[in-house]
Amino acid sequence: MKLWKYIGKRLIQIAIIFFVIITVLFLLFRMAPGDPVSRMVDPDMTPEDAEYLISQLGLDKPLGMQYIYYLKNFFTGNFGESFHYGQPVIEIIWARLPNTILLFTTAIILSALVGIFLGKIASWHKGETTDTLLTIGALATHTVFLPWLGLILIWVFAYKMDWFPITGMLSEDVWLHPDTGIFTKLLDVLHHMILPLTTLFLVHFGSYLLIMRSSMLETLKEDYILTARAKGLPEKVIRNHHAAPNAALPVVTSVGLSLAFSINGGALTETIFTWPGIGRELVMSVSQNDYPLAQACFLLIAIVVLISNLVVDTLYVYLDPRIRY
Amino acid sequence: MDRLRGGWAIYKKNLLGKIGLSLLVMFALMAICSFIPPLIDSMYQPMTGVDPEITQSTGPTLRHWLGTDFMGRDIMSQLLAGTRVAFLVGVSAAFMSIVLGTAIGMVAGYMGRFADTFLMRLADMIMVMPTMLVVLMLAALFGQLTIWTIVLIIALFRWPGVSRVIRAQTLSLKHRPFIEAARVAGASHTRIIFRHIMPNVLPLSFLYMTFRVTSAIIIEAALAFLGFGDPSTVSWGMMLQWVWKTGHMFNAPYWLLPPGICISLITLAFYMLGRAMDEVLDPRLRKEAGTE
Repeated sequence: MKLWKYIGKRLIQIAIIFFVIITVLFLLFRMAPGDPVSRMVDPDMTPEDAEYLISQLGLDKPLGMQYIYYLKNFFTGNFGESFHYGQPVIEIIWARLPNTILLFTTAIILSALVGIFLGKIASWHKGETTDTLLTIGALATHTVFLPWLGLILIWVFAYKMDWFPITGMLSEDVWLHPDTGIFTKLLDVLHHMILPLTTLFLVHFGSYLLIMRSSMLETLKEDYILTARAKGLPEKVIRNHHAAPNAALPVVTSVGLSLAFSINGGALTETIFTWPGIGRELVMSVSQNDYPLAQACFLLIAIVVLISNLVVDTLYVYLDPRIRY
Repeated sequence: MDRLRGGWAIYKKNLLGKIGLSLLVMFALMAICSFIPPLIDSMYQPMTGVDPEITQSTGPTLRHWLGTDFMGRDIMSQLLAGTRVAFLVGVSAAFMSIVLGTAIGMVAGYMGRFADTFLMRLADMIMVMPTMLVVLMLAALFGQLTIWTIVLIIALFRWPGVSRVIRAQTLSLKHRPFIEAARVAGASHTRIIFRHIMPNVLPLSFLYMTFRVTSAIIIEAALAFLGFGDPSTVSWGMMLQWVWKTGHMFNAPYWLLPPGICISLITLAFYMLGRAMDEVLDPRLRKEAGTE
């Protein structure tokens, strides 16, 4: 029951942070040089459509009213129309969001699990070749420049070897063919997802591995591990059931803290692999001066980061019974 | 001075530290050498110099050690000039963010109460913002950003991590006898913060600086890669963008490989430096490092 109270408190915090973010964005939008109307309304629109949109967004009202319109539009999901697509922004956003969540969460969960697993092994073989190799590997993949890694993977595995498609998320011939079953379709998405997933995975698992390794070494010095040894428990049981669960907690914390950084990587990965997600849409819309779309993508990413942070923290509370809010 | 020498003695034994430092020396030499090619011939100017005999990207030759890009500019001199930009961006952004972070951390920890709550909530808020995407958004609003604006924004968004650590350190220092003594002796708050607390937290700040350098370099490179860098400077990220956007990705490895390797290695070097310094400052970690 206490957990619910904690989540409720955090949700209020998130709401406040989010309110500050949208307010700052509104102020910056008004401060930026140039005409706000031309930023929000596509010059190619017919005058009637433009007028309708302007009145809907409240751009013809005084500043204070504009802010109220801005908030109202935000909560009703009215972000205006994208210049590039000529569609309401909200439709584009809803179409892209699941793709981002699919790629991003899979990558983060996978890299955390593998990082924990390999970090455990490295700490167990401390000082041996296995440990040295794992640590060097983690350091190298952790510091490699993500876009470059992505390009290299495309070059080697998609271009030279031709194992994977170079871009996109779906193959049209598979998805438009009437006879393909759902399984083949999913397999097709997976086939497209492997390279972007590998990129994100490689860049992230290293830091989790290093954290797990040092946290595990720290935990192994605890008295209760000594007790477990004294009881004559097999080393494997001590490692997997006594030390690892406790040692994994700092990894969970670090996943939460690095989420903002990871989402940068997510956006870069989506852009390189033309994965149709929110991050790529943000990058594209900024370079195409499509402000309405850029703004919505940015706000949505902020929500995604805030909510994922909450999820990670809640998970932490669940995993560590010592913490009770 | 003795403390420094003692620190250096520990540092020297650290393999990671040695590798990191050697890599950094190599990059520093590259940055210094970047002034040489333009002096030899104006076609070696990284941005404006074009080899008159070359109109497309060509592989390495004696004349161009790493080949040329799509308009006949020398890749080697671009790579060297990029080193300068990486150092400039990394060190200046990191320095600004640790100055901010240290000051805010000390004030929050020392003053407590409202100042503490306010500053730390602000830190929490900034911490959840993905810096690169924030810069993108600002580019959408304010148009092309110069390299100094980018540095400034990175600094403004990367201080919270530092300030949290410094705050915790300040909190533990605050009730030590020497601070109490200073207060009884009539020292003002400013004097206590700058004369008594600051010297004790500075080593920690410098440790954090090395990690901030890495993230600043990566963010700048990523922005340049996406095409939002400063068009008047050559950075490694921008070189990668040119390879990618001009479609030379699959046929010009001599162009694709060097900038990426440089960004990754300089990041690695600063990271290793940070880890090694961590061990110098925190004796508990020394025995842990299996990589010694």
